[in-house]
Amino acid sequence: MPDPTEPLWIKVTGGGSRRSFVLLGGGALLGLLMAGYSLFTARGTSTLIVPPEDVALINQQPISRSDYLLQLQTLYGVDLGHATAAQRRKVLDDMIREELFVQRGRELDVASTDPDVRAAMVNAVELEIAADAITQQPTEAQLRLYFASHRARYASEGTMSLRDYVFPPRESAAAAEAAGLPRFSPPTRAFLERWHAASGKVVDEEFYFAAKIHLGDRLFEAARDLVDGGVSAPITGAEGIHVLYMIKNKKPVPFDFVAARDRVLTDYRNDAIGHLRTGDEAFLRKRANILIAEDVR
Amino acid sequence: MRLALLLAAEACIVAAVLLHSSQFEGRLLRSDPNAIPNNAALLPFARERGEALYGTHCAACHGQLGQGDTERGIPNLTDDDWLYGVGSVSDIEQIVKYGIRSFNPKALNLAIMPAYATARPSVRDSSIRALSPENIRDLAEFLLREQGRAGDTVAAARGAELFAGAGGCYDCHAIDGKGDPAIGAPNLTDRITLYGDGSRESLSMSIAYGRHGVCPAWAARMGAAEIREVAIFVHSLSHEPRRTETDTRARSD
Repeated sequence: MPDPTEPLWIKVTGGGSRRSFVLLGGGALLGLLMAGYSLFTARGTSTLIVPPEDVALINQQPISRSDYLLQLQTLYGVDLGHATAAQRRKVLDDMIREELFVQRGRELDVASTDPDVRAAMVNAVELEIAADAITQQPTEAQLRLYFASHRARYASEGTMSLRDYVFPPRESAAAAEAAGLPRFSPPTRAFLERWHAASGKVVDEEFYFAAKIHLGDRLFEAARDLVDGGVSAPITGAEGIHVLYMIKNKKPVPFDFVAARDRVLTDYRNDAIGHLRTGDEAFLRKRANILIAEDVR
Repeated sequence: MRLALLLAAEACIVAAVLLHSSQFEGRLLRSDPNAIPNNAALLPFARERGEALYGTHCAACHGQLGQGDTERGIPNLTDDDWLYGVGSVSDIEQIVKYGIRSFNPKALNLAIMPAYATARPSVRDSSIRALSPENIRDLAEFLLREQGRAGDTVAAARGAELFAGAGGCYDCHAIDGKGDPAIGAPNLTDRITLYGDGSRESLSMSIAYGRHGVCPAWAARMGAAEIREVAIFVHSLSHEPRRTETDTRARSD
């Protein structure tokens, strides 16, 4: 028999709304108390249990188990199953020491005084931004679009074999004679012996970039447009009058997407990294309070 | 009342599953990763979960079956040829976690194949000099010879000199051309190719324009247990799964 004197909200089988409110209120109060305790004691996230993915917690900072295994492998060339107790202890002690010193470094704010730490921090943040970009794998369609819009970048390096004949400045007539030779008719030995041999700047077949370095910009520009067997007009330079005789000129051939894909992906990622870095820097500047002295503005 | 009991039962089941899962993850993480393939209790569960994660994160590049793609320089995960390390679970786990040339500070990024047909073949090492078109042809002939393929023997002899000398190839690929798994330099004497079909043209392309494939770091996107599960699944692709008690029971069912 139910006790008529018992308050209605206590009855389990009762449907009183007062009990719901009391339980709701009690739950909310308990939650607030827990949150307040965590907030004001600053111990809300502390734990006494080492998570399975870590081997230690140093002031709540984890030492990752996989880093520990890697360190064992690197130092002693053994995996966990084959490491001795002394090896394990040594590696763990080293890692704990490192973590303690890093934490102490943060307390001392070494980044504000040590240029190496500052550089390392800048580098680390840049790497982190880049790593985000790398993880986002572009689709095939995005890569093809990028390839189509940067088509000129993707071509083979051209190659050329040529002779660069140099005549003294006063021998312009001889240079003109050499330049006037018909195609596929290189200067005869007698002609060259009478004047001068090739400069030797380009001897064998060379890539365009190498020929450009060896010949210089001006001669290279003239050489690039010559066809096989073609002879340039006399070009006056500091060493004398140059006449270029092209033996074989293999111009750059555009790659198709398949051949260029590897480079397209790299360039796409580099662009993405560049955009992310610019965006991150803009965000950091926006949220920072930067005051600049009047005299250097 | 009945509804409340049903909800309570459901909550208990969910809690039990979560608890079991968390206990399993704990055991998985605390175990020696290289011993897990022989652990009949952990392996099937880890492999199953790893397969699902692999499908979500890795299959887009490596293929659903792990077969890779030589056109894109994506390694085959089903053979026993490992570019980095020896293919142990811990080796694979490190790669999944930190990646290859992923810009993660702990990533594997020691070796980058220089682009010898460019003015500055290596961004990192200014001592590496560009090669001429003839040099590149000779090196390709040398590699073809090392792989037992037909080619120009005179050019191959010149290529051998370059390989062990001015080209500096020996520095990463070792003097015998067998590579160095510590830095991810491939063995050039076998016929397993990462890029292309091993032809003269594809070898020349690799020498001329360089290679530097990337594997992202998943450390920030997957939990430690998930990374290990993926590693175990990838390991299983190239290793005959040991028949465990669970497997046998599953088959008989």
